[in-house]
Amino acid sequence: MIRKEAVKIIAKSVGNSPIVSANGFMSRDLFEVHDKKSNFYMIGSMGLASSIGLGLALKNPKKQIFIFDGDGNILMNLGSLVTIGSLQPKNLVHIVFDNNSHESTGSQPTNSSIINLEKIAKDAHYTTFTIKSKIKLNLILKKIQKIQGPIFLLIKISTSKERSKRVLWKPKTIRDRVMESI
Amino acid sequence: MNEKIQRELFHYLNKNKIKNFIGVPDSTLKHFIDECIKNKNIIITTREEEALGIATGTTLSKSPTLVFMQNAGFANSISTITSLVQLYEIPIILLIGWRGYLPDDAPEHIKIGKIQPELLKIIGLKSKIITENNWKQNSDWALKQIKEKKPCALIVRRMFHD
Repeated sequence: MIRKEAVKIIAKSVGNSPIVSANGFMSRDLFEVHDKKSNFYMIGSMGLASSIGLGLALKNPKKQIFIFDGDGNILMNLGSLVTIGSLQPKNLVHIVFDNNSHESTGSQPTNSSIINLEKIAKDAHYTTFTIKSKIKLNLILKKIQKIQGPIFLLIKISTSKERSKRVLWKPKTIRDRVMESI
Repeated sequence: MNEKIQRELFHYLNKNKIKNFIGVPDSTLKHFIDECIKNKNIIITTREEEALGIATGTTLSKSPTLVFMQNAGFANSISTITSLVQLYEIPIILLIGWRGYLPDDAPEHIKIGKIQPELLKIIGLKSKIITENNWKQNSDWALKQIKEKKPCALIVRRMFHD
């Protein structure tokens, strides 16, 4: 499964729930497959999608908040797992699309192939799942509707030559769309 | 800034609709931070950038937020301030403890303390130094800035040694 396929399956399945997507190809894929007002496309500030998602989750307890993160991104902000795990937001779903690489900058390797991110998340008191196929992904997406967060999905994806277009919204417009929709 | 004013500052901002206090502890601001803890209104993060990220989420939810940090952490946060807070114009108040204000502060603070005012200026983050005399007036200025959707900073000088 490539990232864009996984992003499409999840984005369609979560309906109107807000999504914070990491910078680079992650936000571009989400923009192309399922643009909506409550998507916060992070274009700079690498590593911070999980923290922005935490802020949204704490203030919107009735909404399920999704974070579309990458392995390179979460490795830059591992401390956020400790903060999220300590605060235990029930409505936070943290998804890491793991291709063991910094694909957006030319597929340089990350160390997520050596150190298991799911284990770290489990130690930080998330409920965790590792997903390697579309069948399991669909199954887990149903399951997480009934369980309490924080939930961590580690989705193993393969790198791909497929490229989505850049996010066309201006940053201030992204801000205003999210603020209006929340 | 003395203990009494630091504690009053928390209540003044809180009464004026600052709902969230997030950051990394700093000894210059310790009484302010202690007041946040006493009032159970604080998230202590692992790094300053993380605090700015969480504050972005709370601010997008229309819940006004202050982020506190030492100026060492401000230096850590330059990229997050320019590529998130300023780029998206997220109205957050930064409260920054200024180490290295005194020229004989500990050696690790000297260089960053010296360039602190220039750093703020060069990235275009509007700021005011708050003292025991002007803190209310400058807090009002900061509250007005975020009402106009502009991020800004309040600076507390470190006037003592320990």
